[in-house]
Amino acid sequence: MARAGGITNAVNVGIAVQADWENREFISHISLNVRRLFDFLVQFEATTKSKLASLNEKLDVLERKLELLEVQVGTASANPSLFARDA
Amino acid sequence: MAVPVEEAIAALSTFSLEDEQAEVQGREFGFRLIAAQRIVPSYSDVSAYRLSLTEDTKALNQLNALIQEGKEMGSVLYTYRSCVKALPQLPDNMKQSQADLYLETYQVLDLEMSRLREIQRWQASAAAKLAADMQRFSRPERRINGPTVTHLWSMLKLLDTLVQLDHLKNAKASIPNDFSWYKRTFTQVSVQWHDTDTMREELDDLQIFLSTRWAILLNLHVEMFRVNNVEDILQVLIVFAVESLELDFALLFPERHILLRVLPILVVLATSSEKDSESLYKRVKINRLINIFKNDPVIPAFPDLHLSPVAIMKELSIYFQNEALTCYTYQRHYLIINHIGSIRAEHDDFAIRFSSSMNQLLLLKATDNPDIDWCKEVKGNIYDMVVEGFQLLSRWTARIWEQCAWKFSRPCKDIVPSETQEALASFSDYEKVVRYNYSAEERKALVELVGYIKSIGSLMQCNDTLVADALWETIHAEVQDFVQNTLATMLRTTFRKKKDLSRILSDMRTLSADWMANTSKSESGSLQQGGDESKGNFFYPRPVAPTAAQAHCLQFLIYEAVSGGNLRKPGGLFGNSGSEIPVNDLKQLETFFYKLRFFLHILDYSVTVATLTDLGFLWFREFYLESSRVIQFPIECSLPWMLVDYVLESQNAGILESVLMPFDIYNDSAQQALVLLKQRFLYDEIEAEVDHCFDIFVSKLCDSIFTYYKSWAASELLDTSFLFALDNGEKYSVEPMRFTALLKMTRVKLLGRMIDLRSLIADRMNKVFRDNIEFLFDRFESQDLCAIVELENLLDILKHAHGLLSRDLSIDSFSIMLNEMQENISLVSYCSRLASQIWSEMQNDFLPNFILCNTTQRFTRSSKVPLVPIQKPSVPSAKPNFYCGTKDLNAAHQSFARLHSGFFGMPHMFSIVRLLGSRSLPWLIRALLDHVSNKIAAVEPMITGLQEALPKSIGLLPFDGGVTGCMRLVKEQLSWGTKSQLKSEVLRGIKEIGSVLYWLGLLDIVLRETDTTHFMQTAPWLGLLPGADGQILHSQDGGESPIVNLFKSATSVIVSNPGCRNPTSFHILSKQAEAADLLYKANMNTGSVLEYALAFTSAALDKYCSKWSAVPKTGFIDITTSKDFYRIYSGLQIWYLEESVRVTPSSHEVLGDSIAWGGCTIIYLLGQQLHFELLDFSYQVLNVAEVESASISQAHKSPHFVQGWDGLLEVMKKARRLNNHVFSMLKARCPLEDKTACAIKQSGAPLHRVKFENTVSAFETLPQKEA
Repeated sequence: MARAGGITNAVNVGIAVQADWENREFISHISLNVRRLFDFLVQFEATTKSKLASLNEKLDVLERKLELLEVQVGTASANPSLFARDA
Repeated sequence: MAVPVEEAIAALSTFSLEDEQAEVQGREFGFRLIAAQRIVPSYSDVSAYRLSLTEDTKALNQLNALIQEGKEMGSVLYTYRSCVKALPQLPDNMKQSQADLYLETYQVLDLEMSRLREIQRWQASAAAKLAADMQRFSRPERRINGPTVTHLWSMLKLLDTLVQLDHLKNAKASIPNDFSWYKRTFTQVSVQWHDTDTMREELDDLQIFLSTRWAILLNLHVEMFRVNNVEDILQVLIVFAVESLELDFALLFPERHILLRVLPILVVLATSSEKDSESLYKRVKINRLINIFKNDPVIPAFPDLHLSPVAIMKELSIYFQNEALTCYTYQRHYLIINHIGSIRAEHDDFAIRFSSSMNQLLLLKATDNPDIDWCKEVKGNIYDMVVEGFQLLSRWTARIWEQCAWKFSRPCKDIVPSETQEALASFSDYEKVVRYNYSAEERKALVELVGYIKSIGSLMQCNDTLVADALWETIHAEVQDFVQNTLATMLRTTFRKKKDLSRILSDMRTLSADWMANTSKSESGSLQQGGDESKGNFFYPRPVAPTAAQAHCLQFLIYEAVSGGNLRKPGGLFGNSGSEIPVNDLKQLETFFYKLRFFLHILDYSVTVATLTDLGFLWFREFYLESSRVIQFPIECSLPWMLVDYVLESQNAGILESVLMPFDIYNDSAQQALVLLKQRFLYDEIEAEVDHCFDIFVSKLCDSIFTYYKSWAASELLDTSFLFALDNGEKYSVEPMRFTALLKMTRVKLLGRMIDLRSLIADRMNKVFRDNIEFLFDRFESQDLCAIVELENLLDILKHAHGLLSRDLSIDSFSIMLNEMQENISLVSYCSRLASQIWSEMQNDFLPNFILCNTTQRFTRSSKVPLVPIQKPSVPSAKPNFYCGTKDLNAAHQSFARLHSGFFGMPHMFSIVRLLGSRSLPWLIRALLDHVSNKIAAVEPMITGLQEALPKSIGLLPFDGGVTGCMRLVKEQLSWGTKSQLKSEVLRGIKEIGSVLYWLGLLDIVLRETDTTHFMQTAPWLGLLPGADGQILHSQDGGESPIVNLFKSATSVIVSNPGCRNPTSFHILSKQAEAADLLYKANMNTGSVLEYALAFTSAALDKYCSKWSAVPKTGFIDITTSKDFYRIYSGLQIWYLEESVRVTPSSHEVLGDSIAWGGCTIIYLLGQQLHFELLDFSYQVLNVAEVESASISQAHKSPHFVQGWDGLLEVMKKARRLNNHVFSMLKARCPLEDKTACAIKQSGAPLHRVKFENTVSAFETLPQKEA
């Protein structure tokens, strides 16, 4: 055999190749969409995280404000005489 | 499945996935890289195409497995760290257990050495297999198909692995070291063992292997030439490598580097004899080889290890070294800095075009039934962009690799140490090649390039699934077009006669054609006959790409067709003119051949992107660690950190946003450490460094953010018109920097962790603002009261900076922070830190040591030595950003502050009012008033003492003696006897009282002004109208003020609108308007602080009224014997006036004008003003002087009459004018008319002092000082 090549059963191979193309179209369609779902999840996680972060930030600010108010109320209630109206 | 996938995904896309965060960091490829490492194509489906490639595929898989193993060996070797250094030494008292130590050491080292032994064994078998493979596939009388092109590549790769391993073995000095130690312990340990000969032999073997340079290659050489027929395949490989390198189309940089590394070795192997080299040069002109070697004198091999082909050639080849291999080193070529301009242009251009074609694609997807041509065009465009992107990325990353290799090969020679000179000797090699080897410009270029690579990488990566089907479709179309059209044409024309060739071509069609993709055009498969269309077939797109095996087979067949299956065929692959194939067809085949290779990269989209953007190698320094004999280098030597540091230090707005990019290098290297090198300790080291770096990074970043916003605020608060007029005004403007993107980073990816950078920055900012306020107060406390203007200015800047920063970052509100630092949180405390500081400052320094100048309305520090010594903490020092940011701005604001640092006047009072606010100000006033009453109480016994010292009676001063006589008389009368030391005490007391009252007067003016402004602002809202006689009228339309009306009507309109979502909030708004109305109306008529203070003083004086203002027994005015206050004050006044003329540091410089304020106020409030004006000694002297001057001027016509007394007289006149001023002011502010009216009894006797009620309850409204 001087040359390479020479598919032994060309017709069968051709049919198999054709079937292979079709099967693979189905497979790649599925896999691509699975990947898209996955991408969506990744992105969803990312945006959710940043939304949570901004929520967290707001809560932090509120928490600190609340702490301050608590202290203020605490000082006030510790000295009730100052705030009681003269009876 | 109820919902189709398409629809489900379309539904998902309606989710809002918008993200605040900018893409200033690369993407993570974590699991993809792992996948890339694990999955090696096995080509198991090749056999399905029945091309008789079984043998080839088997060999191919074997080689691939070897490559994989070899890479692991390489990483073992690369990460090998010397054990000997860590071995313990026995202390003297434990010498007896030396044998145990040897045994332990032996066991430890044995483990390591067994790995080396494994490497030795592996390389032997790999070399043998490679040689066998080459021989098998290169026999001229070939019986099996192959080698395929993929096979060639695998051979090259395996060769490369061997070369790398060899190179590494040569470079690692610790391995022979460890080995010799191992051998020594072995001889010690093995004494007790039997039968150690084989082990010893093995050891010797290993020693030879380890100590021989290029042992692996020499072994390979021997293996190959055991049977002497590998020249053909070597030549083929050389031709293949040279052509690929010269064409440089389908090569990504890892492949290019492989070829460059392997080529010298191949040449060495192929020129092992004179004959061989001749035959090689017949096929490949030697100039081509030399050109390649010259262009790339340095090739990266490992992260911190490079190869020099020329050196290898010189060392290994016997025949090649004769050739002129002088190596020209083109530094320009290697340095990124020389290319960065064009790279920048490429990047910008590509990013725009890529995005626009992405937009086109999105548009296409959104269109129903798009035009097929348009569809094809858009998708083709995407394909082109992806190809271009890969090529760009590959080129850029290769540049970084090559620059690194270059830098490693050219250590910095002349280090300019920034620190001490003595450290010069101790620079490690690594510092020479990295730390001092990159100039600032080069670092900048590197940061920029890293940024480009990472951003393009992530741009491409995030569109992965979007472009995937477009790419598949385009590739499918390309392949189908070639197989169905181009090949059909070729078959019909040129190859019709050549049976062999046409069979190959039709095989190609068989194994890859997708006939059914165009079924709608022609139903039958009859197109195999060629079809009638001359223009070729039209395909319906099918988004499926060919498999790796298909590409492999196609490549093989093309190669086969071109080369004719003959390895000996002279000339190159496609550059062969002697072929049977026409040039035109050859060209087409060639193009498709290289395209096929690139298809694989594109199909492996995300892995390719990950490989091309992997910059982890920039961190690794195993080789230098070993040669420097240290455990790890400090982070200053670490290239990623150098880049981060450079970005932060350079303050370059352009690259600031890339500051996170170098951290991607750490991500990449951590990934490499775990996945490629599989070494936990490396990861731990990286992690430790990253932790450390990130901490420093955050603190440095916060520092520069704070400085930037601070200086921005400071420069905005400078007077703009003044700056405009200034020549060097630009000095004070701040270069704009964009921190916004960084401030939005809520997810910084770092070694698999997510870090909320924004909250980290916010935390630090909260802290640094508090620290700064604290510092400003500390600073104020270490200065005197005059610094209040500076304090206010600095606080204003800080507040403005806070305002600017809180646009981008949510931090605590400034007033909260200020209150916190002022210790003013409590609702029941009115004394803030600042108020108490002002008070103590006034008490201890201001009142005793400052003197008033009535004309300028300023207090200044007495030039005399302070009477009351002051002790203050030293001025705390801080970085410039705790003042105004930059040094220039500090200077500018300081020169402004200096204007106010020498006195206390209106501006200071304004500052005090603004800083203390209505909360702490009453506290301060109360403290001051208490001070006044305390002072009066303190002065009282002294006054009594002086009263006692007063002679029984002092008559009116006689006119006959003239001024001289009067003064003599005064001196005689007012000697004060023993009590004369009380005089200055009393004067100081009165002066302090006067100072307080004047101070309150200033405060009154300022408060009036503030109140008026406030009133003007609120009046229109409250419906206050100016009446005819200056009265305030309330507008009476509807009984409610405009603000309430406005909000009520607005609310009713909004609420009546049916679209209104939450009416309650508007109702609340209108209620709040009512509350505001009430509050502001109540605040309308504020009293005067000064009047209040005078009333308070008057009340305080009531106690002493009987003593200081005795009712004369006669009922008439007591002229001579009175010991009332005014009398005492008169005496004191004339004494100190005289003193002030006589003594050089005049008493006026100690007392100032406030003495008059104190004295006159008390006199006035005691109702003794008229007595004083009538009977004051100095007034009498002035009267005498007037008469005298009149008489003298009549006699002598000379203005200079009373020689020697004019100085005193001048001072007296001044004092009288001042006293008159004070009295008139007092009359205006604290009128006693309604009280003087009833001051004469019905009997006609005057009532000297009317007690008018000071309602005590009024004073209780002020907070107590102690509170």
